[in-house]
Amino acid sequence: MNTLVKMDNVVKQFPGVKALSGISFEIKSGEVHVLLGENGAGKSTLMKILSGVHKPTSGTISINGKVFNGLTPKDSRENAISVIYQELSVINELSIAENLYVGNIPTKKLGPFNLVDREKMNKMAQKLCERVGLKRDVRTLVEDISISEKQQVEIAKALAYESRVIIMDEPTASLTNEEVNHLFEIIKKLKKEGRGIVFISHKLREIMEIGDRVTVLKDGTYVGTKNISDVTQDDLVSMMVGRQIKQSYQSKKENFENEEVIFQVKNLERKDGKVKNVSFSLHKGEILGFSGLVGSGRSEMMNSIFGAEPKKSGEIFVFGKKVKISGPYSAIKNGLAMVTENRRESGFFSNFDIKQNISILPFIKKSFGGGVGGLINFNSEKSWAEKEKEKLNIKCFSTEQNITELSGGNQQKVILGKWLAANSKIIIFDEPTKGIDVGSKSEIYSLMRSLADEGKGVLVVSSELPELLSVCDTIAVFREGEIVKTFSRKEATEEKIIKASTTEKSE
Amino acid sequence: MSEKTIAKTKQKSEQSVNALWQKFSTVGILVLLLVILAVSRPQLFFSSSTLTQILAQSSVNILIAMGEFFAILIAGIDLSVGSIVALVGMSCAKMMVAGVNPVLSIAAGVLIGAFLGFINGSLVNVTKLHPFIITLGTQAILRGVTLIISNSSAVFGFPGSFTRAISKNIFGIIPTVSIIAIAVALILAFITQKTKLGRNIYALGGNKESAWYSGINVNLHTLIVFIISGVCSGVAGIVLLGRVGSAEPTAATGFETYAIAASIIGGTSFFGGKGKILGVVLGGFIIGVINFGMNLLSLPSTLQQVVMGALIIGSVALDTFVARKR
Repeated sequence: MNTLVKMDNVVKQFPGVKALSGISFEIKSGEVHVLLGENGAGKSTLMKILSGVHKPTSGTISINGKVFNGLTPKDSRENAISVIYQELSVINELSIAENLYVGNIPTKKLGPFNLVDREKMNKMAQKLCERVGLKRDVRTLVEDISISEKQQVEIAKALAYESRVIIMDEPTASLTNEEVNHLFEIIKKLKKEGRGIVFISHKLREIMEIGDRVTVLKDGTYVGTKNISDVTQDDLVSMMVGRQIKQSYQSKKENFENEEVIFQVKNLERKDGKVKNVSFSLHKGEILGFSGLVGSGRSEMMNSIFGAEPKKSGEIFVFGKKVKISGPYSAIKNGLAMVTENRRESGFFSNFDIKQNISILPFIKKSFGGGVGGLINFNSEKSWAEKEKEKLNIKCFSTEQNITELSGGNQQKVILGKWLAANSKIIIFDEPTKGIDVGSKSEIYSLMRSLADEGKGVLVVSSELPELLSVCDTIAVFREGEIVKTFSRKEATEEKIIKASTTEKSE
Repeated sequence: MSEKTIAKTKQKSEQSVNALWQKFSTVGILVLLLVILAVSRPQLFFSSSTLTQILAQSSVNILIAMGEFFAILIAGIDLSVGSIVALVGMSCAKMMVAGVNPVLSIAAGVLIGAFLGFINGSLVNVTKLHPFIITLGTQAILRGVTLIISNSSAVFGFPGSFTRAISKNIFGIIPTVSIIAIAVALILAFITQKTKLGRNIYALGGNKESAWYSGINVNLHTLIVFIISGVCSGVAGIVLLGRVGSAEPTAATGFETYAIAASIIGGTSFFGGKGKILGVVLGGFIIGVINFGMNLLSLPSTLQQVVMGALIIGSVALDTFVARKR
């Protein structure tokens, strides 16, 4: 295997922050080199230097033996480096073929004019799509295809540029298990063609499966490079965070049947058919997880329970008392809380500081006139924020900092804080650790456990099986709008859950 | 000091420069404009009636702008403000000419403003269309209604007590209209800064989805916002009527431009969730000064339009430019 890219002793100094101090990183032909580290460890900065977005303060980059002190985006592209960012950069309004050749469209001559040669473009695009296993008409608009297909378009685009090095930034973040498998097939094929892949991910299990080598960064410094075959998941975690992390957060108790039922849903049904006749109970001290494919009805059910989306029928009991939930406001009044899947879209207020993000909920809950009436009590606001900051270990200079200045994990703690400040009793977590680094993940799991131990109800929806298996005491599996199987912690394994969530229901 | 603390101090000072700019850019522009005026026409500028005139002229715009501010705060807009001003003014004038007690007419005028805002808000809630579309429509509809009820002609001849009360100056220098504008500003500032209603409106403007999941009644708050805008325009319509002394069916045409400009110059974010009443008041005042200044420098009214447009773009561009440099 020959070396495609070698970064040597790269330093990047931003005003006030040393983002990278002396990192060396190498990409060989035919390998998947995993870049691992918590948020803020410097992975993105390192890759931005490679793609020409940032210029290194010192250090060298050699590509196929040619030495650079810094790259421009043009250098990077001309030297066959492609980056596939987490936020995909495809253009929705264009067709697949147009996306592949944007800026590089094949033309034909017609008298004095250069016209787009659609026939040639579509034919070339078709070939590229076949190489990445994208089974779509290349004239389809990109807005009409799924996220994983968009990703395939990006990979095909890298191939269109004849890229030798392809950097993938958290490519599996929003893919289902099946789509991840498909992506891995493509990656293996790219490897065989002698390309070098940089794979950035937080998901250790995937890393173990697809990676050949791994380089770990921590706080902008180089921790080490290992062969994947020589390390365990635990080794990687301790390299990343510099300490051993607890793997299980389950209750000491194993059987909850004799415990009080603190939350119960009976025969919940939605008009759109996404949830069909679902019933379940949550016992005191128990963490109940919901697994299943995206679109199987888990999140849809939670949104209906919380009143954010309409339901057709069904009864909800909080601590044995039947409650009527007509919208989020009445859900909140009845002690429900919902930590939504997308922090930025439906979780926090980017125009508010930390304390305002926390106080909004108790203010609404304690107001009169349906959440509208009353005055702001600035003292309570301050004390709620300080209390949650303390309790949840929110890392910030002050609660008057804007929430967008915090890391994903701390933003999530602020969101949890707003629900706790309102004294919520049943807390629904939808994908609670999406895009959160390993260290914060473990903190959030511990928080969930201590909430359950305090007697609060904790419901978790997650697409990450290791997460459910290490946190939940009971796991219910959704398929096509129904709970098809419920596992206790002792019975649950990844294989069983995957089988239950994918196979036909007649078993 | 270690390298880290130096870096931090540097960052801090950069931050405080930004904070200073954010806080005082509007005041800065205002002072600059006043200085330009004072230097170019010192004798006129330093006469006592100048300030009175600027205050009186700005007040109508400030009243409308404060309502517009709420619409922009929830990432919407209200293009119907000018038409509401005209319709409320026309309705009041008709009532008073028909012999209705002026005080009752004023109260009815405010209610009509609230009702028109209620219609705007309800249409936005029911159709789920962007307020731009809804208020673009009601702008035309309400202007049409005004023309119909007035038979396309001006109405005058209402009680002198009304016009005198509105165009009076308190202590000889502060116009009544400014007192009204200040009172409305104080009430609205209180709502935005001290009440849960205000906080919820900022939340709604910052993130509609998060607001919904936090239990905020999105429709109700949208409705309240447009009612506030309607009331502000209604009050402005009454004030304008008193100052002009007649109700013109085409009154306040294009005033939404000034209202939007005042809000934006005053630091309100077009994307919603950010801005303050005080900023809007200053923004409205700036526009008043520009208008007055152009009259003072005897620019032809045709050219004034051009200058106003250019200044709106210039001031907002400057603000955005500074914000981007961070």
